[in-house]
Amino acid sequence: MIVLTSDSTSDIAQRSDDTDRLWVRVDQLKQATGWQLKPEGVCLGEICVPLFEPEREAWIADADDWVWFCYSAFADKIGQQHVRDGDVWSLGSVPEVRRMGLESGLAPDFEMTDRNGDTVRLSDLRGRKVVLFTWASW
Amino acid sequence: MNLPVWQELYESIGPDRFELISVAEDSQGEAAAGKWFDKAKPTFRCIVDPTHRISSLFGWVNVPSGAWIDEEGRIVRSNEGVFPDETTIKFGLGKVRLGNDAFAHATRDWIERGPESDFVWSAEELAAHLKPVDDDALLAEPTFKLALHFESAGDSERALRHFDAAQHLAPDNWNYHRQGWTHKGTVYAALQVLKKSAYLRKNTDKNYYDPMELPGENHRRFTEPEWFWTPAINGLKRLLRRAPSTT
Repeated sequence: MIVLTSDSTSDIAQRSDDTDRLWVRVDQLKQATGWQLKPEGVCLGEICVPLFEPEREAWIADADDWVWFCYSAFADKIGQQHVRDGDVWSLGSVPEVRRMGLESGLAPDFEMTDRNGDTVRLSDLRGRKVVLFTWASW
Repeated sequence: MNLPVWQELYESIGPDRFELISVAEDSQGEAAAGKWFDKAKPTFRCIVDPTHRISSLFGWVNVPSGAWIDEEGRIVRSNEGVFPDETTIKFGLGKVRLGNDAFAHATRDWIERGPESDFVWSAEELAAHLKPVDDDALLAEPTFKLALHFESAGDSERALRHFDAAQHLAPDNWNYHRQGWTHKGTVYAALQVLKKSAYLRKNTDKNYYDPMELPGENHRRFTEPEWFWTPAINGLKRLLRRAPSTT
């Protein structure tokens, strides 16, 4: 099963007894979605979304000798759009991250590799003015 | 592809004064964008972005788009149509001229004067310029990514299905349209651009690029392309106008 996010593509395990929903093994959750299960809830960086008891019971389950988290149900809870085709799931941006970004006025950070093979991390360029522009060959 | 003009601007302002980052939004990656970078030999940072990640992050729906980011990491301006000079875009046998040096002048002013520049936007101005994003547009983003995934996996049928879905969900996103159309070939893509822009020109007041709101910009709405035989057609029209009346 493949999970696409805005900045990653992960080939991860699929729960064998429920393929209608996106179940992610908890040990692969951060790699595939960026989120982590913590005592305070499901967390992405500084954002933590508490899980209520009925959600914990319904969305965390044992199967295939692993513990799984029902990510598609969680995505619906936080308003994250998702779409699938066969065994490929594609996740949209996280609304809370988008909202926080807009309110802060800060440029969204990114880390990408340039054509010289060097890592470009926008936040590393603090202290300098940056002009960023896109173009395309098409 | 005005990378050489960006290079001139970068050198004339001074590479020690700012970072210039160029991002190619091309699903075919190096195969599509590499030759343009190689030809221009830019000394600024160049990134190939096959999944259009930067456009998604900054909410951009067309190319070129750009942002000024200050020393504290704040966006102080974000625009579409940020050509550094007049640029000709070819559509098959036709072409459209877009842009002038208004953005280049404004960029130079901001680099030199910083927050004193007249072209810096406040946080409120920036928020007012952000495109509204509805649920359909939010769903279009992962749908477009799904199309790109299947395109890179060589599954054309599924790629086209999801390109089509993303275009319907986000009808104003030219990146989704033009990248998706390009999957069927550059001639097909050119014809689709003409068809969609002709429809919008006749039926809406939408812009291909939102105005940059900079002095001197030659922002235009959808413009009829100039065709290579235009001089011949104009000559014929002049002759007909001069023809003596028989009545």
